[in-house]
Amino acid sequence: MVEGDTAMAEQQALQRDASRDSASDPSPSTLAALGVSLGLAACGGGGGGGGGGVTTGSTPPPPAIVLPTRAQAARFLSQASMGSSKADIDTVAAQGFAAWLDAQFAMPRATSHWDWLVAAGFATSASMNSEAGFDPVMWRQLIASPDQLRQRVGMALLDFLVVGIGGVDLPWKQFAVAAYVDVLMDGAFGNFRTLLQNISTNVAMGYYLTFAGNRKANPATGSVPDENYARELMQLFTIGLLKLNPDGTNQMNGNAPIETYVQDDITGLARVFTGWNLDSADNSTPDRMRRPMVNNASLHETGAKVFLGTTIPAGTSGPQSLSLALDAIFAHPNVPPFISKQLIQRLVTSNPPPAYVARISAVFENNGNGVRGDLRAVVRAILLDVEARDDAIAATSTEGKLREPIMRLTGWARAFGATSPSGAWPIGDTSSSSTRLAQSPGRSPSVFNFFRPGYTPPNSAMATAGLVAPEFQIANEPSVIAYVNYMAALVPNGSGDFRADYTTISALAADSTGLVDEVAILLGASLSAATKASIKSAVDSLAASATANRVYSAILLTLASPEYLVQK
Amino acid sequence: MTMDQSRRTFLKRAAAVSIVGSAGPFVLNLAAIGEAAAASASDYKALVCIFLFGGNDYANTVIPYDQPSYDLYASLRSTLALPRDQLAGTVLLPATALAGARQYALAPTLAPLVPLFDAGRLAVALNVGTLIQPTSKSAYTAKSVPLPPKLFSHNDQQSFWQASSPEGAISGWGGRIGDLFQSGNGTSTLTCISAAGNSVFLSGRTAIQYSVSTTGPVPLLNNASSLFGSTATMTTLRALMTGARTNLFEDEHAKVSKRSLDLQAQVSGALAAGPAIATPFPSGNTLADQLRIVARLISVSQELGAKRQVFFVSLGGFDTHDGLLTTHPTLMTRLGAAMRAFHDAMVEIGAANKVTTFTASDFGRTLTSNADGSDHGWGSMHFVMGGAVNGRNFYGTPPIVANNGPDDVGQGRLLPTIGVDQYGATLASWFGVANSSMSTVLPNIVNYNPSTWNLGFV
Repeated sequence: MVEGDTAMAEQQALQRDASRDSASDPSPSTLAALGVSLGLAACGGGGGGGGGGVTTGSTPPPPAIVLPTRAQAARFLSQASMGSSKADIDTVAAQGFAAWLDAQFAMPRATSHWDWLVAAGFATSASMNSEAGFDPVMWRQLIASPDQLRQRVGMALLDFLVVGIGGVDLPWKQFAVAAYVDVLMDGAFGNFRTLLQNISTNVAMGYYLTFAGNRKANPATGSVPDENYARELMQLFTIGLLKLNPDGTNQMNGNAPIETYVQDDITGLARVFTGWNLDSADNSTPDRMRRPMVNNASLHETGAKVFLGTTIPAGTSGPQSLSLALDAIFAHPNVPPFISKQLIQRLVTSNPPPAYVARISAVFENNGNGVRGDLRAVVRAILLDVEARDDAIAATSTEGKLREPIMRLTGWARAFGATSPSGAWPIGDTSSSSTRLAQSPGRSPSVFNFFRPGYTPPNSAMATAGLVAPEFQIANEPSVIAYVNYMAALVPNGSGDFRADYTTISALAADSTGLVDEVAILLGASLSAATKASIKSAVDSLAASATANRVYSAILLTLASPEYLVQK
Repeated sequence: MTMDQSRRTFLKRAAAVSIVGSAGPFVLNLAAIGEAAAASASDYKALVCIFLFGGNDYANTVIPYDQPSYDLYASLRSTLALPRDQLAGTVLLPATALAGARQYALAPTLAPLVPLFDAGRLAVALNVGTLIQPTSKSAYTAKSVPLPPKLFSHNDQQSFWQASSPEGAISGWGGRIGDLFQSGNGTSTLTCISAAGNSVFLSGRTAIQYSVSTTGPVPLLNNASSLFGSTATMTTLRALMTGARTNLFEDEHAKVSKRSLDLQAQVSGALAAGPAIATPFPSGNTLADQLRIVARLISVSQELGAKRQVFFVSLGGFDTHDGLLTTHPTLMTRLGAAMRAFHDAMVEIGAANKVTTFTASDFGRTLTSNADGSDHGWGSMHFVMGGAVNGRNFYGTPPIVANNGPDDVGQGRLLPTIGVDQYGATLASWFGVANSSMSTVLPNIVNYNPSTWNLGFV
């Protein structure tokens, strides 16, 4: 898709909408949303958006594009970034969603996590056998890097293509996991097949899912290849356990869902992941941790590998077997809905309607130019879909997703310009559920992530309604309090030299209404009038001159409100 | 619909209409009968589930020791086998010898548990695993019996162990036991307590899991009365966090916060006033940390008005696909030391006969190796510990040590001869669950001969 055609197609779509009877026009926000979606569909028809209703000769003046309000912009950024600064909101409000997306897709990464670790001095022997540098490098870009869409999508990918540093038992482990996250960040807008290739030869992944050093069967000892990666690659990274329709619902055989694979498929696929290992034993530098693993032919299974109805012929080399195996898995009809639905759950909402999933699956299958697995097209489609953009849908009682705790911290940090002038970013490991966030970037306790896509809180109205609420898996009596305690300390005092800058917001401190409204917008929170009135009243219990405490109160009360905690 | 599915639908509908403490329509009568009987308990009992996440390697936990069995183990395990001379100190001498002169030794670093076995306070359950009904190898191979779905998948088997159904289950058998007893507790929300975060095990149809940190409940801002210089701000904070909401997600979050704040003073107060437990718990051991808070909560159960409680603790890291010989002994050290300390603490507070602790895990693992680790299996060996346990014995049938022998489904993945339902029903029965209520706790128990519901280890 050619980027320049997008704006044209949007204008054409809006023109078509504007020509409808004004009495039946939907709200301006829905119009804009639908107009953008239709514009996408026009583009998606193949080969540029020049089609549509434009006649040759005279070009009517383009209608004014309906731009988002600041609140709508902030809501969009809750889905498309790690948090919105005032500048971000103003930019989206001025440009519109599609233009912002285009700019983000085009933005290169300023630096890799790897290079930052080196520049920050962690490639020295003192750091070789510790995790030093890991938390700072993970937090830094999430909070401070301008390529926010990439950061958000990268984190979404890390939520299901999981590596946690606790399971990577290597020297230079902070470098190894940083290199893995670099693979996700670098590949966030690329092709999913390429991403599969890159994670399957990544050192950290090789150690995390134990196939580095995996070897072919040894009849003398009875040992057979380690099945770990083969299993989790299918179960968690690509196709899942049950056959899916393109809309993400289970295919059924009578009353029963249908399994995608059986144990024999795992055993067969495990033979592919043999012979792989790091390309050197040199520990004097971290460098080998980011070079792809290489295949040792003498340890690679030379027999045929049979799985998922595919046979890789005997004698196929390790690298070629990997390529063929990933091709076969990538082609599985489950991949589009399995990946699409999880990306929607990470970015937008926990319970997307099947029709939404189906629309995104279709883009995954074919980005409009015959390409399968185009993540950029998928991300764009997710965020511009009417399900994501329509304010009325957002207001329904069954809609939303509990914000990941990591994103509540980065959301506050970006809203209020929190930074670490020294570059140390001393936030640390926030995994504790009694004193921190119960979640920390890159520190998942297992390959199943901090929460499962299918989790429902027991004895809840969501369970009764058949809804899932993944992020609730880490919400419990200690953690919901620990979060408030932690933010109550961060908001006024930061951590070390990591502190917010409340200069701009402080200008509103004496005007409690204005203060509360602006805090809500900056945090992307849609607060009810009653909640705003409560917060305003608390702010006004302080003297108008108590600037700092009024600002802290407005911010913390918003951060602790269920209306903020649930992204809608 | 099969009978199992109609029962599940029945239970789901019951859950949808159930209200704590109400006299309810007829669908609740089954639970109500059991509850009325159980809730009149005058003594105290607690069950403690230690969940070993990742699938504990049975073959290096309870190791074949008699020479013929050991030789088979060593040859099949090859690079993963423990040397026999390392096992001499942990050979188990049961009151009733196993048939066929079979013997087992515990992993060397489980040595702290051997005196408990000898004193009759520890029992070993052989080859326990998820089943829907008793299953033979021929039935398994022919697929002529229903099997638990998604065998060998971590999350689904964790769920099946805890809840009798795969991932997505909304109640577990620990919580369903709690359903029957919570009305007999002074504070019903303190019936099912987890020190290991959220798990389906402790969620009942009505009983709600209460989660606690290893140091007890977490108070909000140290219970300060003002925030940022204003008492009104603190009041507003609490109100905003806990007020009922229309949006389902918001309301659920508010409920969790409200429960946390409502119970904090009571639980923290009881703990603070409780006895100091002198028994040392090992440091640097997250399982020990969790068992310590459980011990403290049990020590103040009277003050909390609790008569029947179910606890959940866990230890992770058991998915030993590689590095088994370095990783597994460390895990066994932590498990053994934590269990021993907990036992000793229960003796100290005079609760040894009232508390029964049992292990659980996603599954066992393969007997054969993948060079330096083992892969996902099925049946495994488990421990039951406590003063009421009929210890110093093995329960179940020692599996033949083989690769694709009569007792395994290939690679030494054991086909369970004790179902989790039977294991659970034995524990539930001791706890006070009547046979007539057992199927509300463990739905698949009806697939077993009632004479095998209680295995007799406690």
